[in-house]
Amino acid sequence: MAQQVGSRRSLTVSLILTIVIAFGSLAATLSLGWGPKLGLDLAGGLSVVYKPVGNATSANMREVVTVLTNRVNGLGVSGAKVNLQGKNVVVSVPGVKDAQTVLKAVGQTAQLLFRPVLCQVTQAKKTVPFHGIWPACGAQYALTAQNLAVTPNNSVQGYGSNTTILPDPKYAKHSANSSSNDDPSKSVILPVLGQPGVYYLLGPAQMTGQSIGKALAQQTQLGAWVVNYTLTKTGSPLWDSVAKANFHQQLAIELDGVVQSAPLIQPSQSAFTSFGGSGEISGLFTEAGAKQLALAMQFGSLPVRLLALTTQTVSPSLGHSSLVAGLGAGLVGLALVLLYTILYYRALGLVIVLGLAVTAALLWAIISALGHTAFAPSFDLAGVTGLIVSIGITVDSYIVYFERLKDEARAGRSVRTSVDRGFRSAWRTVLAADTVSLLAAVLLYIIAVGSVRGFAFFLGLSTLMDVFITWYFTRPLVILLGRRDSSSTSALSMAAGLYSGAHGE
Amino acid sequence: MVDDPIETPEKTYGRFGRLYRGLTTIDFVGRKKTWFTVSIVIIVLGIGSLAIRGFNLGIDFKGGSSWEVKSAHTSIANVTNSVDRAGLVNPTVEVLGGTTYQITADLNSLSIDQQAKVTTSVIDALAKVASVAPNQVSTSSVGPSWGGQITNRALEALIVFFIAVVGYISIRFEPKMAVAAFIAMVHDLLVTVGIYSVFGFQITPDTVIAILTILGYSLYDTVVVFDRVRDNSGTVLKSGDMTYSEMVNLSMNQTLARSINTSLVAILPVFSVLVVGAYILGATTLQNYGLALFVGLMSGAYSSIFIAAPLLAVMKEREPRFIELAKRSASRSDHRIFSPASAALLAGQGAQRQQRATSSSNATTSATNRAIQARARKQKRR
Repeated sequence: MAQQVGSRRSLTVSLILTIVIAFGSLAATLSLGWGPKLGLDLAGGLSVVYKPVGNATSANMREVVTVLTNRVNGLGVSGAKVNLQGKNVVVSVPGVKDAQTVLKAVGQTAQLLFRPVLCQVTQAKKTVPFHGIWPACGAQYALTAQNLAVTPNNSVQGYGSNTTILPDPKYAKHSANSSSNDDPSKSVILPVLGQPGVYYLLGPAQMTGQSIGKALAQQTQLGAWVVNYTLTKTGSPLWDSVAKANFHQQLAIELDGVVQSAPLIQPSQSAFTSFGGSGEISGLFTEAGAKQLALAMQFGSLPVRLLALTTQTVSPSLGHSSLVAGLGAGLVGLALVLLYTILYYRALGLVIVLGLAVTAALLWAIISALGHTAFAPSFDLAGVTGLIVSIGITVDSYIVYFERLKDEARAGRSVRTSVDRGFRSAWRTVLAADTVSLLAAVLLYIIAVGSVRGFAFFLGLSTLMDVFITWYFTRPLVILLGRRDSSSTSALSMAAGLYSGAHGE
Repeated sequence: MVDDPIETPEKTYGRFGRLYRGLTTIDFVGRKKTWFTVSIVIIVLGIGSLAIRGFNLGIDFKGGSSWEVKSAHTSIANVTNSVDRAGLVNPTVEVLGGTTYQITADLNSLSIDQQAKVTTSVIDALAKVASVAPNQVSTSSVGPSWGGQITNRALEALIVFFIAVVGYISIRFEPKMAVAAFIAMVHDLLVTVGIYSVFGFQITPDTVIAILTILGYSLYDTVVVFDRVRDNSGTVLKSGDMTYSEMVNLSMNQTLARSINTSLVAILPVFSVLVVGAYILGATTLQNYGLALFVGLMSGAYSSIFIAAPLLAVMKEREPRFIELAKRSASRSDHRIFSPASAALLAGQGAQRQQRATSSSNATTSATNRAIQARARKQKRR
């Protein structure tokens, strides 16, 4: 690959271009005011990792991400991120002030509520939010057992009822309750799933989803889709008492502020009988509709139950002090490294200083630019460590090259010939070694979870940068210096760093 | 018996001077028993400690909750008192970096609602005792299966990494180098894990990350060394008057300055992370990374020089052609270790003969060359 080391002209062009690109892009990102997207351990914030309980398909998990994203965004915090890592869902909300409130809202398993349907209401297009307690329905609109007048008969449906009750118009100037303003102990106006424009006024919740054991969508012998459910031990008597109170009336099954279904209780029977721990919801279900209701009844709005594996909140001040510590440690480490290389390699040490400046400028520009995309992981402490570790790998490429130069010098070759020959053999070594480092970074990034990914990303990025800088910056700079410098004897010349190492000086 | 073609300057420089000038003649392969013994002792101690004491696992592996708050004017006793009153059973209170208080306790026996309640009341108690706002208290709570999951993924990554690396080195270099590099990596893993157990350092997910890095780094180091061995086996070995072990020794001495410089350059920033970041400024994550990296980098630098290369020599010396080479060399009855400088001078002769043919080099250089050539020839005959 290094067969042709290049003409003076192409070397100069490559050198100047690299420097211009590096500092130009740094200046560009700085003038745009872009900075790295700080991870929550540096900016402060909240991070939760949830694991699905039991088997979950990847379609399930994508749905979980959608639901959680809606919830987090509903809280009005900015920069929140919900994503999948394998089958885990990671929710991170950097820079959040009141982590505990957010945590509560996100972590809350959506409650399935059973509310009596009081009446259907009309909703106007333009509405004003309503605060307070909804007034009761007008008597002619109320869906009471008396108004509904359910009578069992021999029809296919099994019953007849009064279907001419109109929506109550007196709520029309107000908007319905949102899912975040859905208090189980108060009456609410909520939309109905799959029936746009239909709203119900619902009474306070009489039972929650915790009473439901299992729910399953099944097809009857006639081919209709129904949802069969069982109740828990404590849920069974509660369900009976709720059902008895709402006999021949509609009971709404509500989830995350949406009425999933509002079946009539035992319409085909003339008197209430105990459910005995299980029941069936029938209606005009499609297959998908029945399955969705079954899932909702069993798991809340999420298709699977989630278990918080780890929850972390970092206060902004702690995050800030970590950032200072990380950067401080990095700078002190860098200074020590530079001091050592200058002492050891003299003028060539300055090449390392300049090279690291170019690398740092380019890296900062890239990290800042990536901070503006959704792709890159945010810059956290693990990432800082990845970069600090990469100082060693970057400087090593110079050391490999310079030690080769010393070898060449010891063999009695001139600086001019050494820089070419030395680069060829050093380049092979650098490529082989960087491949290994890159291999490690890529594998870690693909397989690992949590902060390991950020670490791997920044390690891999700086390794790539090392290959790039070695070819486009170090090579032209050292070779050009070597061609110019062969006769100079000043203490700052390249020869000073090389020949003092060679025997016989 | 260490015998260098150039004897005079050796006495005039110290260890570092010799390294700097390429005059080292360390018998890496010949003294392999010493290096292997040192490593085996460390590993056995580590495994023994592991069997008896096990690991000091952090809450990420056991499950539990921790709180962190920064406060300049309170004490461990005050903090312990206030969290006890808030309902924590058996909390551990530590001070990190002088002003950061870390409280750890296991809440996993409580129900989720109770956990939330205790967490909140501890936050309020800490905020009060540290006289800061409640949002200045950082929390972390971990279910018991989280650490297991991280470890499993890390192990998965480790196995895939091992396979990929052995494959890469087998193709790019040769299978025996892959085996030697692999053993060196396992060595680093065992040493690091053993040291963690012996000193009772806490294992966190960050430690797992750090150990993965160490393996990558150790391998990186080994690859650089082996690259030189491969180079030399193409040139030096062909001339036929050096055994494989002698060639490895030469390669090691040639890359010694590089290895030491690189390790120093890698360890300096990590050392700075450990001292400046963790102990002076008090960032726990940095401390976890820094410690593992520090231990591992030392082990990695050691293993590529003292384990991987001698192992390679041992394996290669069993190949028929190198047994033959070693026999011929044994009949010469001397055991030579070339310093990088003298090897360069010997190798340089070819180059300089070429130079003389093309350009007329000045008289003094030629005179020096002749002198060295004469000496080198004498050396060979002896």
